[in-house]
Amino acid sequence: MDPLRSYLGRLLLEEITPVVMVLTTPLAEAACKKSGLSFVDMLSPFSLFKKIDVPVRTASEVPYRLQMFKIRMVYASDVRKEDYEVADEKIKPVVSEADEKALPDLLSGPPQLEDVLGKPEAELCPLWIKKFNRELMRTLSFSEHETFDHPVACLLVVSSMDKEPISKFVDLFNTNQLPSLLNEGIMDPQILKHYLVLHDQQEGPQDIAVNVLAEMRSTLGSNDCKLLCINSSTEADGSNADNSWLPYKALGLNNHEGTCFLSMDDLNEVLQHLVYIMCVPFPLRFAGGTNAKEGKLCCSVIFLALDHYSSVLPLLIKDFMQDFASNHIIPYMEQKIRVLNQQVATTRKGFRNQIKNLWYTFTSIESQIRVLGDFAFMLRDYELALSNYRLLATDYKLDKAWKRFAGVQEMSGLCYSMLDQSRKDAEYCMENAFSTYLRIGSSGQRSATRCGLWWAEMLKTRGQYREASSVYFRISNEEPSLHSAVLLEQAASCYLLSSPPMLRKYGFHLILAGNSYYMSDQKKHAVRTYRNALFVYKQNPWSYINDHVHFNVGRWYGVLGILDVAIKHLLEVIACSHQSLSTQNMFLNDFFHYVQSMGKKFDVHKLQLPVFNMSSLRVVHEDHRTYASDADVDVSESTWQELEEELIPSSSVVRTNWLDTQPKSSLRKFKDSSVCVAGEAVKVNVELKNPLQIPVDVSGISLICQLSTNLDALSSDVSGLTLDGGKDQVNIEPSVSIFETNADNFIVSQLDIILRGGESKRVQLDVTPKVEGVLKLVGIRWTLSNSVVGYQYFEFDAQKKNKKGKKGRRRPFNNNLVVIKGLPKLSGSIEHMPTKAFAGDLQLLKLNLRNHSEFAVKGIKMKISNPRFLIPGDSSDIGLEFSHCLKKQKQSVVSSKSMKENFKGLLFVFPQDIEIQAGATLSWPIWFHAATPGNVSLYISLYYEMENSSDIKYRTLRMHYSVEVLPSLDISFAISMSSSRLQEYIVRMDVVNKTPSESFVLHQLSCVGSKWAISALTSCSSISSVETVSANQAVSCFFKIKDFEADSCKEAGSGSYRSDIALHPGTSGDVFDVARAPLADFHFQERYRQGKLAKGPCSLLDFVLISKAAGNSSKPSPDLQLLSHHTCHCSARNQSPVWWLMEGPRTITHDFSKSCCEVSIQLVIHNSAEHRSSVRVATFDAMPEKSQTVHPHDSTSVQGGWYDVSLENDIKTISSAKSTHHEKQYSKSISPYVWCSLSSAQIDLQPDSCSRVPLKVCIFAPGTYNFSNYELQWKVHPSKRAQVNEDVNGPSGGGPGHPFYVTVLQSV
Amino acid sequence: MASTACFVIVSKNDIPIYEAEVGSAPKKEDLAHQHQFILHAALDVVQDLAWTTNAMFLRSVDRFSDLVVSVYVTAVHTRFMLLHDSRSDDGIKSFFQEVHELYIKIFLNPLYLPGSRITSSHFDTKVRALARKYL
Repeated sequence: MDPLRSYLGRLLLEEITPVVMVLTTPLAEAACKKSGLSFVDMLSPFSLFKKIDVPVRTASEVPYRLQMFKIRMVYASDVRKEDYEVADEKIKPVVSEADEKALPDLLSGPPQLEDVLGKPEAELCPLWIKKFNRELMRTLSFSEHETFDHPVACLLVVSSMDKEPISKFVDLFNTNQLPSLLNEGIMDPQILKHYLVLHDQQEGPQDIAVNVLAEMRSTLGSNDCKLLCINSSTEADGSNADNSWLPYKALGLNNHEGTCFLSMDDLNEVLQHLVYIMCVPFPLRFAGGTNAKEGKLCCSVIFLALDHYSSVLPLLIKDFMQDFASNHIIPYMEQKIRVLNQQVATTRKGFRNQIKNLWYTFTSIESQIRVLGDFAFMLRDYELALSNYRLLATDYKLDKAWKRFAGVQEMSGLCYSMLDQSRKDAEYCMENAFSTYLRIGSSGQRSATRCGLWWAEMLKTRGQYREASSVYFRISNEEPSLHSAVLLEQAASCYLLSSPPMLRKYGFHLILAGNSYYMSDQKKHAVRTYRNALFVYKQNPWSYINDHVHFNVGRWYGVLGILDVAIKHLLEVIACSHQSLSTQNMFLNDFFHYVQSMGKKFDVHKLQLPVFNMSSLRVVHEDHRTYASDADVDVSESTWQELEEELIPSSSVVRTNWLDTQPKSSLRKFKDSSVCVAGEAVKVNVELKNPLQIPVDVSGISLICQLSTNLDALSSDVSGLTLDGGKDQVNIEPSVSIFETNADNFIVSQLDIILRGGESKRVQLDVTPKVEGVLKLVGIRWTLSNSVVGYQYFEFDAQKKNKKGKKGRRRPFNNNLVVIKGLPKLSGSIEHMPTKAFAGDLQLLKLNLRNHSEFAVKGIKMKISNPRFLIPGDSSDIGLEFSHCLKKQKQSVVSSKSMKENFKGLLFVFPQDIEIQAGATLSWPIWFHAATPGNVSLYISLYYEMENSSDIKYRTLRMHYSVEVLPSLDISFAISMSSSRLQEYIVRMDVVNKTPSESFVLHQLSCVGSKWAISALTSCSSISSVETVSANQAVSCFFKIKDFEADSCKEAGSGSYRSDIALHPGTSGDVFDVARAPLADFHFQERYRQGKLAKGPCSLLDFVLISKAAGNSSKPSPDLQLLSHHTCHCSARNQSPVWWLMEGPRTITHDFSKSCCEVSIQLVIHNSAEHRSSVRVATFDAMPEKSQTVHPHDSTSVQGGWYDVSLENDIKTISSAKSTHHEKQYSKSISPYVWCSLSSAQIDLQPDSCSRVPLKVCIFAPGTYNFSNYELQWKVHPSKRAQVNEDVNGPSGGGPGHPFYVTVLQSV
Repeated sequence: MASTACFVIVSKNDIPIYEAEVGSAPKKEDLAHQHQFILHAALDVVQDLAWTTNAMFLRSVDRFSDLVVSVYVTAVHTRFMLLHDSRSDDGIKSFFQEVHELYIKIFLNPLYLPGSRITSSHFDTKVRALARKYL
């Protein structure tokens, strides 16, 4: 592109142009004032020549034609450097004017990405910004270091009314009144002078002026004098005059910026005509509408004006100006260039001016070169200009005159750019100039800005938008905030224009610009820039950015009084959990401030404060299933269904065939929709969370519901509604007010809470329908801090439903509920149900059932999930005093039997005659026993039927309790066989108190069943020392138990033995009956449960230990707390199915002198296995070699059988019977006794039977003998069925004989 | 250690998945958004630069007044961005490389959904330790 046609070229043409200094007399000025304009204003529109078409010849011999040309008309008083402050004040209105225009835009929605990308460049960089740029550059006018602002010519204007006009001309150019720059020698005062006499037609005939002109020509020279007539229109005064300037003013052209405006050419065309009309009446030249016809800006006002003053001029201002420019200024400049060029050439060819200049006057060679360069630049001989600038640059650099150097560099950059030759050079020059300006400090700042503006324009012309924006950004740092804001905005638009568009940079720079605007109190601009950036940050996950943008936009809109938009933006930030407390406070305060200044409550859809966790939403409605408390609802439906399997009548779960997965209920007609009962509350549980650290006041939380009573119409609609409901709501989003009407159909609960910082709460909202129909739950509404109403609709996603439609789904959330007629309803609870208990705790509780309705209910049944913990009692139990009823009584058997009938397989049927009347309460005893430590969930389901109801025949009441059972006493039993008696056992009871502070009194130990008798060991009968087990204490007690029923022990007297033993002295008569109702039932459960865990096939006996809580040491518990511990399936350790015992006399007196002694002994063998077993007994005569027990020298000694028998050996043999089995070794030595009756025997033993094998021993000498020299082999024969299954035979084993010592003495 | 340093991991969808102020200067609330703005704007530059080189470490790609943005781009176009005022290029490179290793470990976690926020406190501690070491 031709650089001249670019915006930069245009800018240079208009800004770097010859200056004409204007000096006027007051009278001349007064004449102009009649039309409301100053002289300069009047001439300015004509100072731009679009097609001047003048041949120009500068230094080179080849002339070229100049097309476009402009001269700047400036009053002499304005030829001075202005203060920055004053200059900056002039710029401010440019920005604030645009501010006013921005307001209507702010009311519309923010622009979107597509809008912005589609915008042409002109719109991104609006006119006022261009104007601002020019103004910013102009603040540097008439700077010392540049010469293009130096006046080229001087126009002296005298009115024809002035006395002695010739002397006035001389006075005007009096050096004393000239601008100081000229006087100080910075500017060359020897400039072209042009004389003009201004004639006001209204003041008198033209002849006077003509005379004056003739006089001037004779004295001042004929060429340089001109006459201009103005105010020729007779009507152009008074009100008419004002009117006639209207269009001129309306276009905003009453100052010299007018020419800068867009579509300059056409406008000027029209304007020039306008001015003619203002000034001239003579019908010399016609300038009607014809000339303006092609004007694109044909505004009708202008045409009106043209028609009105269809008159013509004598000497046109246009002609005057054209003549002035082409015949005087340009030739003068040409000549000056040639002269200067000659001068410079000769000076440079000679020696360089070595004297360092501290300041440069117009006479210095540097200044002359500069003037030469600038003149060449203005006449567009860029080559010449550039060569001179380069020459200067080296000089200034050597002189270290940095500001001048930078100025020259700046100009050479522009020259390069206009020549469109070397981009690199141009850039280098600009960069160099820019950084040099910056380096010299504050005096160069504005120059740097101007240089930057040129530079940026240059880059933009070449399409290097990214570089341009960084230049804008750099200069923005050097400027006060208002200027920097406009510059930043330009930087932003450059990022947008670059390809590809850099949107994030665009946004960021707009934000920066907005901040600067705000700082310089331009709020509308600030909002505008932020708003334009909004689309960049739309749905932005960068949280801090989002907050900053929305908060500021909201706040500023609020300041501007556009409250609804302000609140809309502030809503985006109020739920900022990541911000600090103070920031959150600030956000919230501003929000509420604007909400309150709105003066009314308003509705916000999806208000983010507090956050409702919609996934936590749960609707609780009761159809035939009712719940005792709200917590019970959280139990999964399958748990209840499993529990209720036997409870509810099978008719309701009939399935037509196996393909029917859903049980057909009586509510078939409502299809899948849920059912609720009129008069009963439907509860909605939802979790809400305060994301902030500030407490939030939320009031009036309630459900939004709809109830349509037209059931028939809706029954078909229900399915449709559930499917489409979600979509409808999302699309339509009806405002909340719609749902406020039908309050007589249902009641909605209101809830007020205060959420502390970061708190989340689960709330329950109720709606109670009053009439039959279809209830639709639509959403939730709440009020935040009494000022903002938030509401949110439940969203039902159809897709989600499909996904959930797989197996094992949860109950799908359904917002439509069919309301049916009111039904009786029972509420129930267990009174004083403990939440914490010690293991073994036994309590009598009361189940209370209350009927709230007007109808009686009957056919009550109950099912309890865990009978180890809860067992319903008997109606007779209710009046009894606890713990006394457990004591032993005579008639105990009857009640326990009746209980077992009622409570079979977890199902408990209340007596048929029990009905709960309307309003009545039924209490029923229920036993609680904390069986095992841990957290236990107890489920109870109560079934009841009702009369006269069509839809639902029965209902269930579901109760759920969870009990934390703490460990109390840990009890274990070790049973070992008595070594001397077959049917007696020694029991060691280990009691460990596992509580940290409680102590327990052991009350009673019982064996279950009548077969067993328990007694204290005689040696430790005084058990009272261990009656109380305090915290963390462990106690062991020993007991003896005896089997009554074993045939071998029949002879033992049963009178002295009992199955219970009181451990607490003084309470011996006060024992509890473990065979009676609750204890026996609980024991039955325990036995069943523990039997499942026990692995061994054989079980021996069960113990029940009853203890009482004694409280901790500090406070003894006042009420009696009873604990029962059940230990079942205890058996003796290391027990083999077959065991044996030698029986016989222990001491024998015999006269060995007569014969050898023959001792008869018996081996008693017992089979305790469940199967038949065979036993083989074999005796040996060879002595086992055991060094400890047998001394070899003894056996051959004369004393025969005497040797030392230590007791330890005996005990050891018993305890380690198994281990000795392996080290069996036989010695060759002969034993001192001989088996004489038989050497082996084979016996078959029936299960649980005894057999005796008679044995005889022959002894030859007195002594103590151990008749253990035999071996027993046994084998259990399992039943035939078992044998088929496994190859292995039943268990087998054997062992050496137990030691049996017999002492034989020589009879005297 | 740099007085100001803000480290951000940006997923390929331009969502910040990890943010940490690791500078030694006390954290100022009003700077938080400024840092985010600078880093967010720098993404535009990274977008261009990332395809011009094979190196993962792009050095400093953007600057705002005296703050510099250094970027490291992983193979899946996850960007590690560090806004800092210190000059040690080598330290920053090592920092990025070690964080990359940590990030890969996070990535290998089967419970971590790629592109989701990194909430591991272990990762956080490690990154802060690395920042103390290298920056």
